[in-house]
Amino acid sequence: MRYFLRRLAQVVFLLIGVSILTFLFSTLAPGNYFDEMKLNPQISPETVASLRAQYQLDRPILVRYAGWVNSIAHGEMGFSFAYNSPVAPLLRVRARNTLLLTVTATLIAWALALALGIWSATSLGRLPDRAISWATSALLVIPDLVLALGLLILAVRSGWFPTGGLVSVGFESLSPLNKLRDVAMHMTLPVVALVLSALPILVRHVRAAVSEVLDAPFLRAAAGHGIPRRRLLYRYALRAAANPLISLFGFSVGALLSGSLLVEVVTSWPGLGPLLVEAILARDLYVVIGGVLLSTVFLVGGNFLADMMLYWADPRIRTEPGGR
Amino acid sequence: MRRRRLIIWLTALAALHAVIVCAGFFAPYDPVEQDRQRPYLPPMRIRMVDVHGQFHLRPFFYALHLREGSFDEFQESTDNTVPLRFFVSGSRYRLLGVAPCRWHLFGADGARVYLLGSDGYGRDLFSRILYGGQISLLAGLLGAGLTVFLGAVLGTAAGYYGGWRDELLMRAAELFLALPWLYLLFALRAFLPLAVSPLEAFLLVILVFSAVGWARPARLVRGVVLSVKERDFVRAARGFGATNSYLLRRHILPETSSVLLTQAAILAPQFVLAEMTLSFLGLGVPEPTPSWGNLLANLQQYNVLVSYWWMYAPAVAIVPFFLGYLFLASSLQESADAYKTR
Amino acid sequence: MQELLRVENLVKRYAAKKYRAAGEAPGALEGISFSSQPGATLALVGESGSGKSTLALCIACLERPTSGSIWFDGCDVTALDETQLRAVRPKIQLVFQDPASSLNPRLTALEIVAEPLLIQRRFDKREQFEKARALLDRVGIPLEKAGQKPDEFSGGQRQRLALARALALEPRLLILDESLSALDCSVQAQIANLLLELQSSLGLTYLLITHDFAMAAHLADEIAVMDQGRIVEMAAAEKVLRAPEREVTRRLIAATPEFRVAALTPKVV
Repeated sequence: MRYFLRRLAQVVFLLIGVSILTFLFSTLAPGNYFDEMKLNPQISPETVASLRAQYQLDRPILVRYAGWVNSIAHGEMGFSFAYNSPVAPLLRVRARNTLLLTVTATLIAWALALALGIWSATSLGRLPDRAISWATSALLVIPDLVLALGLLILAVRSGWFPTGGLVSVGFESLSPLNKLRDVAMHMTLPVVALVLSALPILVRHVRAAVSEVLDAPFLRAAAGHGIPRRRLLYRYALRAAANPLISLFGFSVGALLSGSLLVEVVTSWPGLGPLLVEAILARDLYVVIGGVLLSTVFLVGGNFLADMMLYWADPRIRTEPGGR
Repeated sequence: MRRRRLIIWLTALAALHAVIVCAGFFAPYDPVEQDRQRPYLPPMRIRMVDVHGQFHLRPFFYALHLREGSFDEFQESTDNTVPLRFFVSGSRYRLLGVAPCRWHLFGADGARVYLLGSDGYGRDLFSRILYGGQISLLAGLLGAGLTVFLGAVLGTAAGYYGGWRDELLMRAAELFLALPWLYLLFALRAFLPLAVSPLEAFLLVILVFSAVGWARPARLVRGVVLSVKERDFVRAARGFGATNSYLLRRHILPETSSVLLTQAAILAPQFVLAEMTLSFLGLGVPEPTPSWGNLLANLQQYNVLVSYWWMYAPAVAIVPFFLGYLFLASSLQESADAYKTR
Repeated sequence: MQELLRVENLVKRYAAKKYRAAGEAPGALEGISFSSQPGATLALVGESGSGKSTLALCIACLERPTSGSIWFDGCDVTALDETQLRAVRPKIQLVFQDPASSLNPRLTALEIVAEPLLIQRRFDKREQFEKARALLDRVGIPLEKAGQKPDEFSGGQRQRLALARALALEPRLLILDESLSALDCSVQAQIANLLLELQSSLGLTYLLITHDFAMAAHLADEIAVMDQGRIVEMAAAEKVLRAPEREVTRRLIAATPEFRVAALTPKVV
């Protein structure tokens, strides 16, 4: 319980730090939304000035920060100039879409990685292992952008999958099952792109962790006791290999989040990615800050989850002095 | 054996880079030279045997002209074989940015040879890819270099002097490492002026990389410095009256070289990709200066995606570089590990 | 004759939080006092954790004592700052236990031995290497090996290298911190004899730190026994060996195999 509280405190401090950091960066901005407006001859300078005052942009940074924190407490997270609405509702929808994508991709990627990695480790050096290693190396070399664009071209030219958007036109009129299918179809392209980009590293690490454990003396001893191979693998080997893999899980959440930004933009999936890019191009300050903060929350949350899983899975952590 | 592999990869990578550095020579045309008459031409086939079955000693191609009654379909003019000439004199460029030169590896008289087709403004894609590589690769290499340097300085200060410097650095590094780096990169870019000249954009991008990527190299360097600091030979040198700067220079920093090199090899392709991503989204190097990223930006238009597949070529161009860097990094990692267990 | 080294009430305690596991903490010093005559050898004997290495580091000015003073050649080195200390350092040199870690594996033997001269900026480059070659010869390293790296030398040869390096600045006091403990028995004897020979020809004063009573008996004029940060017994070597007063001393002597005590004869002055 103490460990949990301590980690939670660390997370909170981290998030506060990140919010301060992004807020600080925003002060570097020599340009902002209103500069663009100033260039527009149709809007009078007085309007611009009054809007600036209304959004408190001419106040010192501490006041702005305090105001922003205050608006979080009210569930608003600042104000979007471009959309003319509080930031939070905007983020909510997009965040849901991004989570949908990222969680699905994570689950699929890990399921595949575990299967392929274990298969590789148990047939070390033989054909399945070599084929898998070769395939992952080939995938590793292809950067995310190239992969996403390539898949997009493939999808467009073949017409198999819809490219873009969460749902088709006429979504509302579909039956629940068809609604599900519609979303799934739209999700295929981005999920495939994400999974393929994450898979190589995951497979390699799973293979390394499992093969190391399979070599360990305690496992040989267990085999010597006559425990059947399958049980050996799943009940003994995997539990021992769990430690580095759970840490990897935390790391993969971060990687997938970063990757999702690009994939979302390329495949026009309405998540945080495109919102962020739009906001940057429109100099929409609070949306950018909110978007970065939210994605950090997800990232840190993923790591936190991984830490908790690790704590539960690995008894050594509980007994170490200081907990970590 | 290991050294040999390292050298092979280094040479291959160096050769690839050499082609990019001498883009002016290998590219037949100036990258910004437009030809509005020939937008979106498909790649031209270089042949040795013409339509009548006759073998030509010199490779040639058929010029393309617009098919009768069509806006966007091109057809080869089979009556006009345009020979490929090598070592031609063409548009001016500066070799290595200094020496003015007019020699190009290949070119043609009478018609433009589009090895990889042309873009919407009729600019030769092959030339643009070569020049674009200069920007993207340079951004990646400089960015990686600056990042590794920054990480080395901070990591050494933290590891060697310890105390509050160390604490501060570690907390800051934790903070930066916790963030999804692409988001942070974007956020940083967001807060800097949007409309900048290509040079400014380039420098901006590199600075932003370093601001985001310094944390991991710094932590690694700190680790090395901490462990080397306690070694007896450092103590012995101090016993002879060595100053801090001598110890760092002679004994401690050489130990960090392998870590730094490996990190640079890992970061360089990542940063090339980041530049591509930024430029792809319009946040990096702006038109008309080509970079692999903004060359791919065209693909965001639906019609380009569907009809003009050769515009995907820049994406493929980066793959051999990635391959080279990846193997370089893993070779470096291997030799570093081997040295440690010696 | 004026004493070369005098230690008064030396106390050294390490900050607790630096060392998580208690077993790792180097032994503290709880008030050490002794003095050493020039040209003589004083052996500090004790078990691990008795504070021997800490004492060595303090006297070599590589650690600052918590309190107390160290007088070297009439000067209180504990009161000097780093710049002043630089002038004193050449006179007090330390030879470490493990030559594998005390020699930088990336440097050649010649560079290693010449390094002190380089740091202290004595002579020009060429002369530095000449002196280094002379030193290598002095300690019995064949000159063909001068360009080789430490991993190409044997343990005994590496310790000779460390010794040569320590002699480069012509020190007056040489602290040997378990310098022989990592070597094979036969090699130990060789190095021990080399040490004796160097002492008589160069007039060096030795501070030998060891847990090996036989070695102490062979090399030292005086033996001081340390236990838990204090000196519990100190007298002429012969006397301590034949008629130990404290239980700790007796235990240490008993731990030394008899044949070694017999083989390594007490020092003949």
